[in-house]
Order: sequence, then C-alpha cells, then structure tokens
Amino acid sequence: MLEKTVIPAPALGLDFAKIFGHHQSPSIRAGNLIFVSGMVAVDPETGERQQGTVTAECHRIFKNLKLVLEAAGSSLASIVQIRACIYDRIEYDVLNQVYAQYLVKEPPARTVWSVKIETGFKVQLDVIATVT
Amino acid sequence: MSAKREIIQPKNFNLNVSKNFSLPHSPGVRAGDFLFLSGMVSIDPDTGERAMGTVASETRHILSNMRHMLESAGSSMDKVVKVNVLLYDMLEFDNMNRVYREFFPVDPPARTTCGVQLAGGLKVEIECIALA
Repeated sequence: MLEKTVIPAPALGLDFAKIFGHHQSPSIRAGNLIFVSGMVAVDPETGERQQGTVTAECHRIFKNLKLVLEAAGSSLASIVQIRACIYDRIEYDVLNQVYAQYLVKEPPARTVWSVKIETGFKVQLDVIATVT
Repeated sequence: MSAKREIIQPKNFNLNVSKNFSLPHSPGVRAGDFLFLSGMVSIDPDTGERAMGTVASETRHILSNMRHMLESAGSSMDKVVKVNVLLYDMLEFDNMNRVYREFFPVDPPARTTCGVQLAGGLKVEIECIALA
C-alpha cells in the first residue's frame, strides 16, 4: 500500500497555507509521484504576490516550481503533466515562449485552461512530476 | 508491468451522477494504486437531485459525497493527494476554503483552485486524485 507524504515548502513564501491561509499542502508525494499545489508568482522568501505580465509571472513560477520539486526529490525535467491556467487565451503564445525555455526536451503532457485565477494573477501552473 | 483499470461507483445510487444524468463518464476510475474521481457537483444524497445553494453549502455537499465515493472504493479522505476546485467566482474563495478545511483537518492534499463557468447554475465543482 502506497503512503502519502506531505513535502514541506522549501521557503516560507511558498507555503500558501501559512502565507495566505489556503488549506493545502505545498506538495504531496504518493508512491513515486509528486503532486504540487497550483503555483503562482510569489516571492519565495516573503510570499509577496508578484503580479505582472504573463512572461514575468511565468519566469517566477518556474523558478518557484524548481525549488518545490527539488525539495521533493524531483525536478523540472521530471514533470509528467502540467495544467497551465492562463487568464486569457489570447496570451497562449506568450505562455509558450517562456514555457519552452524551461521545458526544453521531451516536454510534459499539457492542457491549457483559460480561467480566472486568484487575486488577479495571470498564470497558474498545476504540476504532477515523478521522483527523479 | 501493467496496472489494473477498474470503474468505481458510490454505494449510494443517488450519487451516481454519471448514470442518473446520463453523462458519458464514470464516477471514478481506479488505475493501479490511484483513484481518479470525476468532477463532483452538489447533489442531495437522499434524492439524487442537484442541490444548488451557497458556495459553503455546495462545498459541504460535495465533500461529504466525495467522502462516500472514496469510502465506497475502499479509500478515504485522508488518502486524497490532489484536489482541483472549480469556483464560479474567485471572490468566493474564502467561503469555499472555510468549509473545505473541516474535511481535511490534517495534512491537506495539494490543491489548485480556478474560477470557471459551471453548468446548470452550480457554483462549485471538485475533483480529486486519491490513493486506493
């Protein structure tokens, strides 16, 4: 029987339960998979929200995701599925441009959703990865 | 190695939305060690009817029905590893969060919340992945 393990946030600003009162764990390991809570553009040290362009938010999110995944014994290269939430489909190409810089070879399976994100963010990435 | 795929169903027939509303999906699917539940909306477990209400009341109905679904399949709420919450309006985030935390008192799952348009005048839809 597989166990479920909560992976602590690698920095205070990435612990949205503590910072924002969201009732969620930063990431969960179950078997060899890592399930990461939806990541938005925040300062990893302070949790300060850094709303900006899709490009700027994307860069911040990938840097945050790298920290979270590495704390869980995984990495950006080990992502198997991403749900990319953007606030407006018109920014699809902008998302892709940054996205391709971080996920170069054999990119993960992906779905893009055009949705409303909390507090005016433009991007949120929802990730499942394997343990490296 | 090949993992088994098996359809799972709630013991309370009223909660089998897939059948009762003739929808082309299953209430849940077991794949190896994981359970994948279809998005759940607020259903009255005594009648099988949609139970529209406030975000708080819909969240409570959904999560208590989700508990029944998981337990019907031999799992439980504390084995949930990832949750996706869909809200009709992100302004209601706190109203969802307040009820949500009652159902996951310790080590809550990883979670992503999005604002979307839902069918049938419902305000909340929740899906999850759990360990079997």
